[in-house]
Amino acid sequence: MPRSLQATLKRFVNLGLSILAAILVGSLIMIWYKRNPIEVYRLLFLSAFGSQRAIFISLQRATPLIFTAIASTLAFRTGVFNVGVEGQFFIGAIFGTFVGYAVKLPMILHLPLTLLTGFTAGAIWAFFPTMMRQKLGISEIITTIMTNYIATFLISFLTNYPMRASPTTAQTPPVQPTAVLPQFVELTKGALGKGSQAHVGIFIALAVVAIIYFIFKRTKLGYEWRMVGLSFPFSQFGGIDLDRTFIGGMLVSGGIAGLGGAVEILGVWRKYKDLFAIGFGFRGNLAALLGRQDVIGTTIAALFYGSMEAGAMGLDWTAGIPRQLIDILVGLIIFFMAAEGMWEFLGRIRISGATTAERRTTGQES
Amino acid sequence: MDANTSAQLMSILQRYVFNVANLQGMLRMATPVILAGLCALITSRAGILNIAGEGMILFGAWFAVAGSYFFQNAWVGLLAGILSGLVVGGLFALFSLKLRAHIIIMGIAINTFANAATIFMTRAVFKMAGAFADPRIQGLNPIHIPVLKNVPILGQLLSGYTFIVYLAWILIILTTVFLYRTPWGRHLRAVGENPQAAETLGINVPRVRFAAVMASGVFASLAGVYLSLGHLKMYTDQMAAGRGFIGMAVNTFGAGEPVGVFLASLLFGFVDMIGYRLQADSLLPPYFVSMLPYVATLLALTVYTLRRRRAAKSALQAASNEE
Repeated sequence: MPRSLQATLKRFVNLGLSILAAILVGSLIMIWYKRNPIEVYRLLFLSAFGSQRAIFISLQRATPLIFTAIASTLAFRTGVFNVGVEGQFFIGAIFGTFVGYAVKLPMILHLPLTLLTGFTAGAIWAFFPTMMRQKLGISEIITTIMTNYIATFLISFLTNYPMRASPTTAQTPPVQPTAVLPQFVELTKGALGKGSQAHVGIFIALAVVAIIYFIFKRTKLGYEWRMVGLSFPFSQFGGIDLDRTFIGGMLVSGGIAGLGGAVEILGVWRKYKDLFAIGFGFRGNLAALLGRQDVIGTTIAALFYGSMEAGAMGLDWTAGIPRQLIDILVGLIIFFMAAEGMWEFLGRIRISGATTAERRTTGQES
Repeated sequence: MDANTSAQLMSILQRYVFNVANLQGMLRMATPVILAGLCALITSRAGILNIAGEGMILFGAWFAVAGSYFFQNAWVGLLAGILSGLVVGGLFALFSLKLRAHIIIMGIAINTFANAATIFMTRAVFKMAGAFADPRIQGLNPIHIPVLKNVPILGQLLSGYTFIVYLAWILIILTTVFLYRTPWGRHLRAVGENPQAAETLGINVPRVRFAAVMASGVFASLAGVYLSLGHLKMYTDQMAAGRGFIGMAVNTFGAGEPVGVFLASLLFGFVDMIGYRLQADSLLPPYFVSMLPYVATLLALTVYTLRRRRAAKSALQAASNEE
């Protein structure tokens, strides 16, 4: 069997068994919660895929995750842990909202301008931690987490004071109709996506996936990003401009997260409600880990996570089981997946002596 | 400076810095940061990048409240919190050291998992969302140190805190002694500085690292216990609020030394405290106070690194001048 095929096979076995293990641990949690696990999993599945409405809600929940997950994967692949996608998503969303309600333009200009603002704001928010890492060597893990908190409180201030439009809740004015991304239910006059707020932003998300995939596969820039992520000294030796590559990767990552924030606002919410977006970024980080930092894998993981989230929300409403159950399950899958040493019994499929980096490259080539 | 402005300056200093209530606030707010800093210190000295402190703090805070609620005893709460730290630390060590999971990926996963799990458990066990407070939850009582409590200013400043505040101070001393005066401490430092050399000396590197991660779990969980039982007697979702990461920053400023961690944490306690004073006087808009510790962390990291660079550069220059 060719090496790359072996590696792929091993990854799938690993993923399947990890999911199985997580399902088993999840069953124990449900039994402790005095629920029948089979019934709960059935309900979870039905709330995610069981009807047209369920499928559209799954799409709606997956859309922002595709952005944050691709943003995470892009950073992970260039060798940085951008755990700041959470804050970059918020910042893109709030500035997108601002341009959405404060500017008056025809739609053909207004919508692109608003999306561009989201992208730029996210990139700027990623700029500070990037420079701190680049110029001073300060760990981006600490700094991006700090910028998440700063973003949260900055936005609470903005929605409570200068941008506040409602006396009862902390929220901004609605964005103008010229900056709105249409929902499927609006486009089809109720024929598709009834009861959901799924919107055409999913196509923007898929376009971003396609662009990033293309950059990684076919361009010099993508090659440089990959090399920097795989081996820092080697790529320096190979004459890659490390500063430019690293800064570029991180800013584009922040930009994609910010664009995702703007898309979520323009498609689903159409105004910024304080604290609406908590967790989109962290779930994106997890989806990237679930997809093994591979562009296509990450996209599938984000779609999976989004639909499971929709399922968990259904469970919460119908059976009163806290929706965090799904985050717990995804966390468990990642624990099991990442634990290389647990998979040694797969010795026959395992390539002896392969390093993580090697396995990652072969995985990408497959 | 004329008499009027200097009098004004004095009154400002008195309001914001030199009064006993402020300094008490500083010492209290520094406590969870000290413990989070020790969590980062013990692992970084063993050469491990442990970013899971945040999750460990959350679990510690949750189990402390659960223990105190079900047994109506703060000490059982403390014990439950520490136990959770040992279990989470043990699992983290098992996965990242024994089963070779990537330690940063593991850390990210643990933090997100802890966040979801504690929210889930608050709803599942206490039937509450967001926060849980109940008269059955017993907090740790303040300890009034005999004799000392009657000394005018010093008594107010040093007496009357809960057990964990004193424990944090004691742990600073104990960690220093451990690192520099015991064979285990020497082993830990050796493992952190040069694992290969440590191994040739016959030190069991994996075992030392495993123990360091377990210890970091205990330190972090104590920070959590302080947050939920040390001051407020309640559990709030996400109450760790980034302290696990601030602990990592404090360990950087403290150059991996326990006393350094203590001093850097005091600085953070001070920033926290002064923020609340400024808000009380409407000098700072709300929410900016909450932002302060995180902004301070970024600023302090920048200034600290710049200064160290400059110091290294001038040392290099001095060396080349001598030649």
